Amino acid sequence: MFSFCTDPSVLPAWQWYACYLTSGTHLAFYWSFVVVIMLLLLAAPSALLVGFGGALAMRSKFLPLNMLGRGYTSLVRGVPDIVFFLFVPIAIGQGVEYIMHQINCPDWDQPIRQGNDFIVCRDAQVPPRGSPSWMYNAWGFLLALIAFAVVFGAFVANTLYGAMRAVPKGQIETAEAYGMSKRQTFRRIILPQMWVYALPGLSNIWMILTKATPLLFLLGIQDIVYWARELGGAKTSLYKYPHPDWRVWYFLVVLAFYLCLTALSERFFDRMMNRFSVGQATSGGDRQNKGKKKAVATAGETAA
Amino acid sequence: MSDAQPPLVVKDIHKSFGDTEVLKGISLTANKGDVISLIGSSGSGKSTFLRCINLLETPNQGDIKVHGEDIKFRGSGGDREPADAKQVQRMRSRLSMVFQSFNLWSHMTALQNVIEAPIQVLGLSKDEAMARGEDLMRKVGLYERKDAYPAHMSGGQQQRAAIARALAMEPDVLLFDEPTSALDPELVGEVLQVMRTLAKEGRTMVVVTHEMSFARDVSNHVLFLHQGMIEEEGDPKELFANPKTERLRGFLQPKY
Repeated sequence: MFSFCTDPSVLPAWQWYACYLTSGTHLAFYWSFVVVIMLLLLAAPSALLVGFGGALAMRSKFLPLNMLGRGYTSLVRGVPDIVFFLFVPIAIGQGVEYIMHQINCPDWDQPIRQGNDFIVCRDAQVPPRGSPSWMYNAWGFLLALIAFAVVFGAFVANTLYGAMRAVPKGQIETAEAYGMSKRQTFRRIILPQMWVYALPGLSNIWMILTKATPLLFLLGIQDIVYWARELGGAKTSLYKYPHPDWRVWYFLVVLAFYLCLTALSERFFDRMMNRFSVGQATSGGDRQNKGKKKAVATAGETAA
Repeated sequence: MSDAQPPLVVKDIHKSFGDTEVLKGISLTANKGDVISLIGSSGSGKSTFLRCINLLETPNQGDIKVHGEDIKFRGSGGDREPADAKQVQRMRSRLSMVFQSFNLWSHMTALQNVIEAPIQVLGLSKDEAMARGEDLMRKVGLYERKDAYPAHMSGGQQQRAAIARALAMEPDVLLFDEPTSALDPELVGEVLQVMRTLAKEGRTMVVVTHEMSFARDVSNHVLFLHQGMIEEEGDPKELFANPKTERLRGFLQPKY
């Protein structure tokens, strides 16, 4: 990175560290933080969307849809996450290539499966052969994102389904008694009220999601934990920057990162809970009310 | 739709929950301006009957006519259900219900509660609904509390807001399901006061109540229900002064 980095072995300590910490592999290490955060920021709304669809399916009176919703949540929640993290990207990757193959290469006469290999014609490869490496990374990232959305969507679906059912019956009945349709009742009453019941569950799922990101490594994406182990390990003098076993320091950084993430998330969820508790007769809503009264009282005292 | 038709005619309502027959053929006709009180001990079926009127419970048997329009049903007995959801919504928008436990929507302020159904169901613009809502909040004496959330209001205030919400639909008939039963004694008065005003304005009301003074002084017709049947009905002055049946006499006797 710096011009003086050509021969690190002769450098004074601070320059040595400056060069070491900006080496190519370290930049990849830093980038992996960005990838993880990006994945989290995209996976959370995707899982929320998938989960919302799943919850709606579970509520549906149309039997096939209902069974689809219930089947999806039971299946995904019942199978170890790792299986799905491995299965979904491969299944989707091969599925897409298979379809592309059928469309683009109708004349292909060899079987697609040859022993252990999955072989499709040149035009069916995703991303197209010879793409720059970022395309491969982006495709891998997309598949990982889908896997996360599918797995965590099932948990979200179950949480939202429960939250929708936790909205007091009187609230729904009243909407119906005033002539609101099922759809209006859902949109105007159930939807705004369910979050207060869903948030504790959703925040759990988010925490598990943040902790599941090291599974990215399984999908061939070099994540934070992979790099921490790789970079921290002892380097002999064959390396440009030889050093003893520094893994403990690297993992300390990773630890700090996840702790910060947790702290931020907790703040975020506290704020959301406050927002959705407005007027709710839950203890959270009650506390707000008391806080308000207190504030008014104090204001009165100051005025007096 | 002509005014010659009574706003609400209910004929021979039967309702069972499982093997228990809760209503055994109850009929009621509300002409314009009628205030009808339903009295009776707990478990006599008064509330269930009221809930059958706007189909929160589907009666197993019997007809409901709103302004001469028959509500259509399909199936029979326990499987009976309204045949036309749109018709039910239209009918419900003309019969506003006030609940025992207020049931204000907890995520909305009092005023938002009042304007919600007029906007969603009647299709009023927000401005129209707000104007109507603010007038009604003034009428029930809650204008200053219009931006409060239900959880931050007293029971009496909540019930008055709920009455404003019912009025905002400009309904043909107001249905009250024990509107004061969940209130502390000192809050009952403010709600009854609002209901008296409504009765004086000539609104058509069907009221399930334990407030005998309200039934006697305000309503022009009283139904005494016992075990799912009308035991006695008639003009309140007459009925309270000279109960004909032993049961009504027993019911009216002071218990303590």
